[in-house]
Amino acid sequence: MCSTKAPDGKLVAPSFQIHAHQVEKLPPCQAQCPNSGDIRGWLGVIAQHHKNGLTLDEAYDKAWGILTERNPLPATIARICPHPCEDLCSRNEKDGAVSINAMERFLGDWGLSRSLKLPRKGTRRHAESIAAVGSGPASLSFAYQMARRGYDVTIYEQTTIPGGMLRQAIPDYRLPREVLDAEVERMLDLNISFVWEADVGGVVSLEELRGRHALVFLGLGAQSARQLGIPGENGPGVSSGIDYLRQRKQQPQSHRGERVVVIGGGNTAIDTARCARRDGADVTVLYRRSEAEMPAAAQEVEDARTEGVQFRFLVAPAEIVRDGGRVQHVVVQPMHLGEPGAGGRRRPIPSGDLPQEVPADLVIVAVAQAPDWQGMGALATAEEWLHANTDGKVGDNVWAGGDARGPGLAGAAIAHGRFAAEAAHAELRGLPRTYRAGARPVDKGAIRTDHFAAQERSQEHRRPPEEWLQNPEVEIDQTITYEQAHEEAARCMSCGLCFDCQQCFMYCNGAGFTRIEETSPGNYFALALDACEGCGKCIEICPCGYIESRQ
Amino acid sequence: MFSYFFLSMAETVGLDVDVDIYEPRSFCHRGPAGCNHCGGIVSESLVQRLATEGIRLPNDVVQRGIESYTLHMDVGDVEIATPLMEQRIAAIYRGNGPKQSEKLDTHSFDGHLLKLAKDRGALVIPQLVTDVRREGERMFVQCADRTENGYDLVVVASGVNSRLLDLLETELPEFQQPDRTKTFICEFHLGRDAIQETFGPSMHVFLLDIPRLEFAAMIPKGDYVTLCLLGDDIDEELMDRFFSSPEVKNRFVDGIVPQHVCHCYPRINTRAARPAYGDRLVMIGDSGSTRLFKDGIGAAYRTSKAAAKTAVFHGVDAESFKQHYAPLCRKIDTDNKVGKFVFGVATLIQKAKFARRGVLRMTVSEQQSTGPRRMSGVLWDLFSGSASYTNVFLRTLHPLYIGSLIRNLVSANMPGNGVAKGQVSSKEGSHVQH
Repeated sequence: MCSTKAPDGKLVAPSFQIHAHQVEKLPPCQAQCPNSGDIRGWLGVIAQHHKNGLTLDEAYDKAWGILTERNPLPATIARICPHPCEDLCSRNEKDGAVSINAMERFLGDWGLSRSLKLPRKGTRRHAESIAAVGSGPASLSFAYQMARRGYDVTIYEQTTIPGGMLRQAIPDYRLPREVLDAEVERMLDLNISFVWEADVGGVVSLEELRGRHALVFLGLGAQSARQLGIPGENGPGVSSGIDYLRQRKQQPQSHRGERVVVIGGGNTAIDTARCARRDGADVTVLYRRSEAEMPAAAQEVEDARTEGVQFRFLVAPAEIVRDGGRVQHVVVQPMHLGEPGAGGRRRPIPSGDLPQEVPADLVIVAVAQAPDWQGMGALATAEEWLHANTDGKVGDNVWAGGDARGPGLAGAAIAHGRFAAEAAHAELRGLPRTYRAGARPVDKGAIRTDHFAAQERSQEHRRPPEEWLQNPEVEIDQTITYEQAHEEAARCMSCGLCFDCQQCFMYCNGAGFTRIEETSPGNYFALALDACEGCGKCIEICPCGYIESRQ
Repeated sequence: MFSYFFLSMAETVGLDVDVDIYEPRSFCHRGPAGCNHCGGIVSESLVQRLATEGIRLPNDVVQRGIESYTLHMDVGDVEIATPLMEQRIAAIYRGNGPKQSEKLDTHSFDGHLLKLAKDRGALVIPQLVTDVRREGERMFVQCADRTENGYDLVVVASGVNSRLLDLLETELPEFQQPDRTKTFICEFHLGRDAIQETFGPSMHVFLLDIPRLEFAAMIPKGDYVTLCLLGDDIDEELMDRFFSSPEVKNRFVDGIVPQHVCHCYPRINTRAARPAYGDRLVMIGDSGSTRLFKDGIGAAYRTSKAAAKTAVFHGVDAESFKQHYAPLCRKIDTDNKVGKFVFGVATLIQKAKFARRGVLRMTVSEQQSTGPRRMSGVLWDLFSGSASYTNVFLRTLHPLYIGSLIRNLVSANMPGNGVAKGQVSSKEGSHVQH
């Protein structure tokens, strides 16, 4: 109906045509993922494997390949990531988010069990030598992305083992060292070598490294613990959270305290508290805000409680008191919450109540960490964190990522490494830099959740709580099964990308949709616009928001 | 309806059967996602028949009771009251109303039927069927997620607005799907008060001299009016002519046709599937055999009941369907042939102004009197689908009908006659124009 006016000039014919077209959108899981992981992509390969001629094994292999395009350590990261990807999963409103985290872990373990090789990008080798300082997730990710593009990468590590904070600070019951070892080992196939006990900033200066290599990536991490600045903080019986965790990894059997007070509300504080419980101590966590403001993962807090960790909220440490050189107690000031601060969290304000004493023989301060800039020359900044451009460039041929740029999730460090490698490769090769403009986020209202049959979320198995402290270093969470992984992938609603529900094809009155011969997730039907009758039915019935009206 | 009848009949003979209904659409959705591409008129005879089967249309399913038809022609309008005052036609939505419509306390007709079937014990599987195949003594149904289930009988009630019949034609060589033609349906949001004022409880039918247009009707439903255009491949040119006609524009405030909120071009069945059955397979409603242009829901009722009866009491093999189901399809087919003729005559009347005057005069006269309403009855049944086309045709052969028509044709076209001059106003709501 094109004409809208009759000869007499009056509007006579409605001209309300809706022209459909197929547009891939950004799913909420990917939008929330710090590493922008193609979650829908790897779930879709599994969920739709039979539509694309893959066996389930082949689909798992392929899904692992998609996953490792952006993350070389899936088994590792899946074990420690608080999975913000699940928070906005469209399935939340129906029967619970897709267990993306459990799926990632399954695929990570799948890759290890099958000894799958990390995917290279092309076969071309490049002459430039690349250096990465530190071997935490940011450096490993950077090294991986450069090495798979054909560069020789040397990682300079201060210790004799790789992994950075993943290795030094994450307890074994969350991340078994064999998993990290296996995933790092796998990277060595890609022209990555290590220089152990490298004192960059000391024996080897940054300038020397820049002379040796075409490009240097700094993945220094945040190794220095922050202090509280209260009386009694410096002295025996007081440790930082990161030091405590490091020492415990190095000397698992040493005795550390019977009444342990942990100060802080982040994940390091909770890891510390749970480790102290595993060592047999009575543990109390002091936090100056309420539980709602705690930055630690809620599940970790809950698990700590299950293990017997005590929490005292709205108390700020004021002094650590010793008697005869031994810590006796921590004096705490009761607080209440005031107005939100710049970060959005409500500020703690002294309540005016009298200070209290919390008994302790060991106090662990786990409030925050910062990078150690010693020996970094001009890069050493008056501020705590390094400022970089979007891709992590901090100077000529120097790039940086990870906690050195600000505290964040390990997934974000992986992303820093990847983005830096993509940009560095483009710069070295003189390629135009393609920025990640990305697809538009899918409109939440466009997902027709009622199209999908209800199906309970597959949870990862957990060992019974009574065993947690009996076998303190054994991993609590277990990987989901082969069958569960398939069922869980099938729960993905494929937000913003065709998954071959076929409704547009079946119900289009004008037969505007035709099947594509070589199918893949997102690529099942072609829409012939000349056949479109503008009714908009396909848009309305599309359950994943892939079809939209042309503006 | 098949599931409802099948389970009811099976229960009476002690047959233990399971019925799965595959329906991916949710009829609680507004707009196309929950729509079934239909004007949504349940004829008075069908309302009664359904009631005798235990299928009562609750108030929240009936959008509006239609109490009269108003016939619009260039020579004038006439309101035709329901032949029996206690009977009403139900205007319903097959889905849950037009796109972006306000939430109303009304429900979908198809959703109501689905609920009845569920209450009878059918299992509703919210999956789209993408293939049906026969393997030995079993029929297999495949869904979009590639799951497959085997059945003793597959009943296809997909209508002709689904590609399933295309796929079936490929899969089952003996099956030839129905012929179809393109129609147009749209929804206007006019508001309840405006509708009450301009449309009232009346379905408005247009007999206009527009090539290829067989039938046009506007059906009030709550805050909306549904427009249906039926004919031979409705296209833009035809629609432009329709919307430009004064008879249509006058239905709207200030003669301006507002933008519609929802539209589609559904296909309708114009020739039955051949055959509409096979071994362990039967097509019902539009997928098989339906009435030409009208009473699709009535045809769905009749075919689904006949198919259920055959399956329960005779068998699910091709021979049983041939013996006990095919006769009904043939009967509908034969009646449609008569219907084609009747609509052909109606087209001739549309083209001849003198004939339109005669029809109008005869109808107006009947509506003013208490005597026999022969033309009114013919038109009513033609528009509503309440009677078969054969029945309608035979009534037009009645000598008194023919005599009355000739008399009115002459009178209406005599110089100085009120109808010819456009002066006669028969009753409230009916008027005659130049």
